[in-house]
Parts: sequence; structure tokens; C-alpha cells
Amino acid sequence: MATVPALEKPTMTVADAPAVQPKTGLRKYWHLYAAISPFYLLFLAFGLVPVGFSLYLSFHRWDGLGSMEWAGLSQYQYLLSDSDFWQSIGTTIVIWALATFPMIFLAMVTAVMLNSAVRYKNLYRFAYFLPNVTSVVAIAIVFGSIFSTNFGLVNALLQAVGLDQVAWLNTPWGIKVAIATLMTWQWTGYNAIIFLAGLQTIPSDLYEAARIDGAGPVQTFFRVTLPLLRPTLLFVLVVSTVTGLQSFSEPQVLLQTTANESTFSGGPDHAGRTMVLYFFQQTFDNNDFGYGAAVAWGIFLVVVLFSIINWRLLQRRGEEQ
Amino acid sequence: MRLSRRGLLRAGLAGTAATALGGLASGCAVPTGSTGRNMVLWYWSGGLSDTVVKNAKARYDRSVDLDAIQIGGYYRSKLITTMAGNAHIPDIAGLKGEDMASYLPNADQFVDLRTLGADKYKSQYLSWKWDQGIADDGSMVGFPIDCGPVAHFYQYAVFRKAGLPHEPEDVSRELDTWEKFFAAGERLKKRIPGTYLLTDVNAVFENVVQQGSRRYVDKDRNFVGDREHVRNAWALAVEAKRRGIVSSIVNGTPDQISAKESGRLPSQLGASWATGDLKNEVPKTEGRWRVAQMPVRPSNNGGSFLSITKACREPERAFEIIAWLLNADNQAQGFVDAGLFPSTPASYGMKKLQEPDPFFDGQVTMDVFGPAAQKIAVAYNSPYDVALGQPIKDEIKNVGVLGKDPKQAWEDAMSKCRRIAKHLGVSY
Repeated sequence: MATVPALEKPTMTVADAPAVQPKTGLRKYWHLYAAISPFYLLFLAFGLVPVGFSLYLSFHRWDGLGSMEWAGLSQYQYLLSDSDFWQSIGTTIVIWALATFPMIFLAMVTAVMLNSAVRYKNLYRFAYFLPNVTSVVAIAIVFGSIFSTNFGLVNALLQAVGLDQVAWLNTPWGIKVAIATLMTWQWTGYNAIIFLAGLQTIPSDLYEAARIDGAGPVQTFFRVTLPLLRPTLLFVLVVSTVTGLQSFSEPQVLLQTTANESTFSGGPDHAGRTMVLYFFQQTFDNNDFGYGAAVAWGIFLVVVLFSIINWRLLQRRGEEQ
Repeated sequence: MRLSRRGLLRAGLAGTAATALGGLASGCAVPTGSTGRNMVLWYWSGGLSDTVVKNAKARYDRSVDLDAIQIGGYYRSKLITTMAGNAHIPDIAGLKGEDMASYLPNADQFVDLRTLGADKYKSQYLSWKWDQGIADDGSMVGFPIDCGPVAHFYQYAVFRKAGLPHEPEDVSRELDTWEKFFAAGERLKKRIPGTYLLTDVNAVFENVVQQGSRRYVDKDRNFVGDREHVRNAWALAVEAKRRGIVSSIVNGTPDQISAKESGRLPSQLGASWATGDLKNEVPKTEGRWRVAQMPVRPSNNGGSFLSITKACREPERAFEIIAWLLNADNQAQGFVDAGLFPSTPASYGMKKLQEPDPFFDGQVTMDVFGPAAQKIAVAYNSPYDVALGQPIKDEIKNVGVLGKDPKQAWEDAMSKCRRIAKHLGVSY
């Protein structure tokens, strides 16, 4: 049945189209549209409508329950002057960088090792992928213990080699490092699997040629593997950027305390308050839904900006070739 | 019958459409509130005593189907989403104390309980708690469930070893000002090095603010977070840091729990419900703790309300159920089952609340919490308190944890508050 439209279309010419008319696209293929409609209907209800509503909301003042009040552009004006929002962008980028670059390095090393592993290949892949499907909340609780000051694993290791304790979750840099480590741990395996797929597309005759030309393993890696892995590398970078810029659960759970203080404030000096965490604080702590929506659109713009940078990187690569 | 792909597709579509239509139809049948017979009550796990809810179901079975639902997750956000969506709104809704300030400006979404005769119950409840459920326009939104009187928890043996007053009456009497409390902290640290009276400076700052009758924003939308009462709390918190009586431990971490267990954090200012937390966190310390009055005067932390939404079709019946659920007998049961501290003073003398607690080596903790609950000052709770209190709490934390210059921190907090106040339409 899929062949029917394909056969019919070329027989229609521009000239007789108005005369034939009877069954246009929608009437003829309605059942096909109906078949694909569930996704679009769900997307409309749970994607497009909320997106549109948040834009509408960002031009209002609303406490979530009472009546909305028109605010014009004032939420966006405040957003531009809000030093807390700018700080949260900086925090997000620093955490993203601290997490992403070590993660890419580790993932690549892991992938190369997995690629040359002979036995238990699938077991290793499964094991490396596991952190990615574990609940972030559970991971964050475990990492909270690992980084705790007096009984944490990290400080135990530091003391074992004769260094001083670090109050990881109580100093601005410690907090950032702890969150970044958590994200690195969570994403290394996932990206290693992607790198592995990339590695397996590299034809083995290239390696043979390199070997015949007398290249050692290090030279082979930098001259053959790395250049051919570049598309995969960029894919990994793009995905990590989009997820990294939206980090929320990691700092939220890692820095929450049992006391009745805000769980969205991100620790001392707001060291762990990422953009999305700041959005949550404005919306759900302060009940400032209008401003929260404006912050969400600010985050959207930052992500778009980074996506454009990534896209440009991809473009330049295309031109080079 | 031959199953063609097309036939299957049609059948599937028809099925989907029927389900969707069915869902739509049933959705329309009960747009808001109850049908009259059906009475929906929303609360959260531990928000009411399960025994009492079960008894209420049986008791009112002849007139209504009481459908009590425990809502998991972020309760407030689910309730306001449902109310804003104007569908399937519960008839009776629990309101958490910390969210009360954000519900009260929208009192028109709830039934004014005074119109149902709430006033005749007023004398049975703590007056400050009763007032917390009343909106600016005088309408009554929330009927009191529980409250959270704050007291001083401490470890008997550690205080004794440090040469401090250690019997509950002595602690209450002798550590009755912040000055004496801090002096005790210095002595504790000197006698048993590495031991601190409190976890962090926020424990001082927030408790002092909570003791007062004003917070950060007043009834007329003026920012008052720069006034004497907050400056005083700030100064006391800075002093606690200077005198070295607060630890560098992060609140809520395993470090804090282990310090409580080993006696290096032998003291804390906590609400009545902290008893339950202590029993869960440090069960091995059973028998070591005591409770005394906190310095100066008791404050409150937590406690919630029941309300009747505008969607309720039978407010009189709903109110009858609420008043029964929250009478003195049932509040006493709530304390036994779920640690909900009664807002009905008549409960305090009841036998089941006068039980000696082995965790406190047989002390009857009600002797401390009961009188404390009746001495709490009512403070105006503004919907802007959270937004305008947070920068000050954040900065005092920076002083305590990062050693930031207190003067600079105060200036930073105030400039942030000025900016936020302007944004929220609060006059600075």
C-alpha cells in the first residue's frame, strides 16, 4: 500500500491537476496522517502548548494561583540586570567544562580499551553503560557520602597520601568539582559506547597501512584514529553540551540539606546554582512564575548560542574537507 | 477472519479514538469538586494520622464517601496546578505551613471557614496558630492541624562533663539568653575540645528571626529585613561565629549525623518533630538526650492546615469532617501516630502524650513542648518573605562557612534585597 502514492504522483501533470482535484492530500491519506498523529498530538499537548504558555507567562506576573498581571518586557529587563542569573550561567559553564573534558578523555581511553578487549566484551560494555541508566538522585546521594568531609572516600584517599582534608561540599570550588565528578562518572560509559561505535567504522586496512609505514601505536592513534573519529567527537560534544547546560538534579540532590533552607540555593556563594536550578528557585521557591518563565527563555537562548557554536564547528570541518 | 494490515490499523485507530472519547467524557462528567456524595481529601504522607483518617471514613460513611488521597512528590505544585487547571480539585485540601503565605493572598479560591461557624472552635486552638490561617482580608483559609514548637535538644552526659547545667530545668533556667547560651558554648569547647554547641551560624540566625514577631516583609509590602530585629539576629550569628561555638560541618550530611552520635555536636535547636529525626538518624544515642527550653523564648517551625476549596459542593459537611478530624482527641492520636504536635492545648494533658520517652531517658518531653507551644509569638508571614529572606540567609552562610567579612556580606545582602524588592513591587 505504500507504493500507491508513489505510482500515482508522477502521472499527474500540472495542467490537469485542477480538473482532477477530487482527492487532495489530506482526504486521501488521512489514515496515514492519523497513524502518525499520536506523537504530534502528544507533542502538541505536552510540548508545544507549554512552550507557548511559558512565553505568554514571561510577559506576566503570576503567583501560580491568583490572576495574572501584564508585565510587558519588565521580566526580561530584570533578567538582563540580574547578576544572580549571570552568575548561574558562569557556574553552569564552569561545571560543564570541568565535567566534559575529562569525560571525553576518559571515554575515549575506555573505548580504545574496549575495542581491543578480547574476552567479556559485552559484559564490559554493559558495565560501562550502567551509570547512565542509574537514577541521578541515587547517584547524588552516594556522591554526597563520597565527598563528605570527615568520612568521605575522597578525603580518606587524600589523607592516605598525606594531604589535608578538603570540605568538598562547603567550598565553592569543592562543590563544582564534586558536581563535575558526578557528571563525568555518569556519562563516561555512555560516550565510550558511542566512541566505540565510531572506532569500529574505521577500516582496518588503514591501520595495516600505518603499520607498514612504520607508525607506532601512539602515532597511529593521533594520525589515524583521532582524525577519523572527529565526527563522533563532535557528536559527543554536542550532546554533552545540551545535557551539561541543563544540569539540575545533580546539584539539587548533592547540596540539599535536611534543614528548612532552600534546596535550590546551591551551597555557599551559590557555587552549585546552575541555570536550571536558578529557574527552579525563582519559580517554585519564590512563586514568581512570570520571572521563572523569563529565566527559562534565557536558558533557551544560552543553549541556542552554544548549539550555534557547535554547528559552526561542524560547518568548518565540512569546508576543510 | 483474515487480518489485513489495514484492518488492524483501522481497529487500532477506532480503539484509540474510543478510549480518547471515553476519557474525555468521563473528564467532563466531574469537572470540579465532588458529586455531593463523593468527598475528596488531599494530604501528604504523614500529614494526618492514618488511624484518624480511617475512623473518619467509617464515621461519615452514611453521608459521604470520604476519599482521602496521599499526594506524593512536590505537594504544593500539584495542588496549585490542579486549582489553576480548574478540574478535579479536591474538596478538602491540606496546606503546608511553609506554603501558607502563598495561599493566603488567594483566599478567594477557598471557602471562608468563618462562614461555616469556625469561630466557635477558636478557643480550643492555639491562638497564634489560628491566626496564621487567616488572610489579610480577615477570611479564614486554613484550619489548624499541627505546629512545631522549637526547643533545645542536648546530651546530658556531655553537658555534665563540660560542667554545664545538665538537668532540663536547670538548662531551661540558666541558658535563657543568647549571651548565656554562647558562654555555655565557649565553655563546652574549652572543656571538651572539638565539641560545638551548634552546627552552623544559620541555626542562630534563623532561630532568632523566627522568635520575633516580624520577618522580612510587613503587611503593607514594605521590606523590613534591614530593621533592628534582623540586624540583631545577624549580629548574634556573627558573634556565634566569632566566639567559635559553631562547627564547620554541613547541615544534613553524614558528618553531622556522626558528630551527633559521637557527642561532638551534643546540642541543637529543633522543632518537636526533630525528635523523630533524631530517633531515625542516631538510634544508638537512645537515653542520652534531653529537651529544655530554647534561649529567650520559643519559636515555631512547621505545622500545617486543612482548607475547603471553592470547588467543594458540600462545604458544611466538609467542615464538619475537618472539625472532627482535628479535635483534641484526634490531634493527640496524630501525635502518637505521626508526631504531629497538637495545636489543641487540651491534648497536652492527655495520658498518651504524658508518656515518658526512653529516648530521652524517661523525660516527659510534653512538659517542655507543651508550655513552649503556648508562648509563641505570631509573625506576619508575607508571600515575599522567601524571596527577600533568602539573600540574607545566603550571605550569613557565606560569613559562617567561607569567612566572608560580615560587613561586606551585609551590604551585599542588602543590595540584593533592594534589587529583588524593586522587581517584586515591595517598597524598600
